[in-house]
Amino acid sequence: MKRRTMMGTAAAAAVAPTGFAKGALAQSANEKIRKINFYTWPQAALPQAYQASQLIAQEWRKLGLDIDVKPLQRQAQTALIWYGRDKWDTTMWRMVGRPERSDPDEFVYSLFYSTLADKGYDFVGYRNPDYDKLAEKQRTQIDKEERRKTIFAAQEMINRDQPYAFLVHPKYPMAFNRKVFKEDTVVNQTGIGIRNIWTFVAIEPLGAQKDLIINSSESLNACNPLYIGGAVDSWITDLVWDRLMRIGPDGQPQPWSAESVEWKDDRTIAITLRAGMKWHDGQPVTIDDVIFSFTAPAGDKAPMYKPFVTEIVAMEKVGDRGLTMKLKAPNAAFFTASLSKINLIPRHVWEPVLKDLAGKPENAEQIKDVNRTGSGPFRMARWQPNEEVVLEAFPDHFRAPKVARWIMRIVPNAEATLGMLKSGELNFLGFFGGDPEVLVKFAKENPDIVVKSETDVGFEFVAFNCRRPPFDDPAFRRALSFAIDRRLMVSAAWQDFAVPSNSHVSPVLSYWHDPSVDNPKTGLAVAKKILADAGYRLKGNKLYYPAGKQEKLTTE
Amino acid sequence: MAEAHDPSVADYRATSPEDGGGRAPMKLVLERFLHNTLALLAVITILFFMFRLMPGSPLAAFINDNLNEDQQKAMLQQFGLDRPMWQQYLIYLANLARGEMGLSFFQRRPVTGILLEVLPNSLILTLSSLIVAYVFGVLAGAWLAWKRGSWIERAAVPVVLATRAAPEFWIGMVLLALLSFKLGWFPSGGASSPGEAYTSNWQRIFSLDYLQHLALPVITLALYLQGLPLLLMRSNMLEVMHEEFVTMARMKGLSEWRIVIGHAARNALLPVVTAFALGVGLSMGGNVVIETVFSWPGIGRMLVQAVSVHDYPLAQGAFLMIAAVLAVMNFVADLLYMTLDPRVSHGRAG
Repeated sequence: MKRRTMMGTAAAAAVAPTGFAKGALAQSANEKIRKINFYTWPQAALPQAYQASQLIAQEWRKLGLDIDVKPLQRQAQTALIWYGRDKWDTTMWRMVGRPERSDPDEFVYSLFYSTLADKGYDFVGYRNPDYDKLAEKQRTQIDKEERRKTIFAAQEMINRDQPYAFLVHPKYPMAFNRKVFKEDTVVNQTGIGIRNIWTFVAIEPLGAQKDLIINSSESLNACNPLYIGGAVDSWITDLVWDRLMRIGPDGQPQPWSAESVEWKDDRTIAITLRAGMKWHDGQPVTIDDVIFSFTAPAGDKAPMYKPFVTEIVAMEKVGDRGLTMKLKAPNAAFFTASLSKINLIPRHVWEPVLKDLAGKPENAEQIKDVNRTGSGPFRMARWQPNEEVVLEAFPDHFRAPKVARWIMRIVPNAEATLGMLKSGELNFLGFFGGDPEVLVKFAKENPDIVVKSETDVGFEFVAFNCRRPPFDDPAFRRALSFAIDRRLMVSAAWQDFAVPSNSHVSPVLSYWHDPSVDNPKTGLAVAKKILADAGYRLKGNKLYYPAGKQEKLTTE
Repeated sequence: MAEAHDPSVADYRATSPEDGGGRAPMKLVLERFLHNTLALLAVITILFFMFRLMPGSPLAAFINDNLNEDQQKAMLQQFGLDRPMWQQYLIYLANLARGEMGLSFFQRRPVTGILLEVLPNSLILTLSSLIVAYVFGVLAGAWLAWKRGSWIERAAVPVVLATRAAPEFWIGMVLLALLSFKLGWFPSGGASSPGEAYTSNWQRIFSLDYLQHLALPVITLALYLQGLPLLLMRSNMLEVMHEEFVTMARMKGLSEWRIVIGHAARNALLPVVTAFALGVGLSMGGNVVIETVFSWPGIGRMLVQAVSVHDYPLAQGAFLMIAAVLAVMNFVADLLYMTLDPRVSHGRAG
């Protein structure tokens, strides 16, 4: 896209629409909508998203638009979309699910908050002061019912303005062998699936095989309580280090290493640590260790974890196991965004390490020999890069696992994971990179294998660049969004391993998700009516702007 | 003739021993060493600039958004990235000379260490496969030359060509499905059984468990690799067998097998040795596919992973290590050639 000057006038609102019909007489001021570049991922990288973009482009062309679907490699796409914010029209994009996204705050606040439009997560440039007010308000509402109302209002506003055309919340299939593990000891976590800490501490072996052997297609990058270098890293840190709270199977934060966590007022939290906890080296976990764990990232030595402690202004020890935390401002997402995220680290190990780093340019992310003493239900036994990670159960833990070892094998070949599951080389499928239907068929042929799919907290969507005409017009965005049949997306592009989406709060977060925005009316007729009502018209099978609206953009 | 269908065979045969004419052996060794060193330097230079000329800052992945400006500056200084490109290049060369290849963006560990952890696995896979492929190829090639014109030759040559033409991943998947998933004779991937611990890497490499895991990738790679030595050996043998010393051996009344192995094969072996040495380097880089299919923890898979997450220092290091092995093996091929064929170093080119 070459940009000469931006924007024209949007006087269309004042002009009465003359109807949206083929061959309708155009007013002389009407300008044809230029060719639109629709970016997507290469088919080999994300086949579902690629397929979806082709189906969507077909529908949009039927509205009289000239659509050019352009697949871009990840880095080129990031460079264009994320760093060249006013240079693109529309693109396929995705937000992935993570346990901390089980609180709606991260998506509700970050994705559409105005000040984040230039550099932050609001890459589509949606600016709406009314929405900003809602995003801020929900953060300060400690009363859950009240906060829920605000989150609902935010979803309704986004449904009205459609800065994204939400497509689907994907479902991820995982599996385990019921001959090896007692089936009812496997726990499903909302929005995450069966690969979670609740399963790993509760799962019960039935026979001689006491090890849980899980696969991953990616290698472990780092095993450091102050740095996450990739998706798999957090599978491990989750199990080796404890946190004061954890996101429970229901998606809500609940006390873990803390015996209790309570709001004293809207800025003060009272925490009591469990009694009798031990580090993997046998030393007791003390309240001083907890205070240290929340103080250590505050400096400049753990930049990745720093944002999770900046809200804390003071911490005060109360007796042997008590702690009072004071926050800068009321923060309803604090339990999820901070207490469920900060890894508890032993002061006797990390204090000397951080002292040694003081004044040097290196930070805790670059330490060569990271001490892996945690207090979690598993302890690190061995890490063979690119091959496997072996964790052993920590018998002194308050939720000591029933399995003897947790072994993660790195298997990049998706078909081989199925062979391994059959032969017993794996007994838990934590990730399947192949066609989900193949897995379902495989499970039918091998009745010992149980497949469980869970809907993701994250979602796949089409992003509209709200800075550029014609996408600066909410009516145009609504029309394009509602031209897309979500059910077709689910069946034709995602092979039924997804549910339709129309909100940034996933339906798996049932408490926070507003069902009134689900299942909007879609189809070409709906889209054409919205365009006609807003003054757009068809002339010789091409779509024209409402009278008076001009743009001075060209498409390369 | 089979080699007419297989250009690579002709390439190896074209590697003539004549170009050393009239120079002292030591001088020639030095010349070859210099030649290979320059080639490696060219690779290093191309790699250095290639990664820096790619779109987007090479730092984007490394410099964290949460770092403030001073910290970012400090980090740029620490990595020497604030200096002009030519200075960076010289520093890079100096570091390489000391065996340092920088820090991996994501693993935050020295690249050299990461690569040395996986290099033995790749070398073992490559060397075992090449040895199996070349021992089989040389013997079968010699035998097929001897059986020239028979139905065995007519049936065998197309089969060999087919295994050479079939994609590695396809052979790998078929063998995996058949010998592992269906019959359960071999494990489906990895280099040892889940959770198996060894006191040293040597103990592991010589364990039955490791060898069991090694077998299927080696069979696949060897099946793919055996075509070249086989066809090469066969065509060399056909030429050599018309030479006078073979007729002489026949006249002496030696047994057929002794003529083939003791006389003809020794003379036909020279280009095969070159192909072997170069094959080590070439298949090191080409093992990416086999390592992925069999989840083998080698340098090829490390390379793919590094490229896919844009871990430039690691990808650069992996490329470089493959290039270095290739250059070393090229040099070894030169030396072997000189040793095996005195005409190369003595200048009595025939």
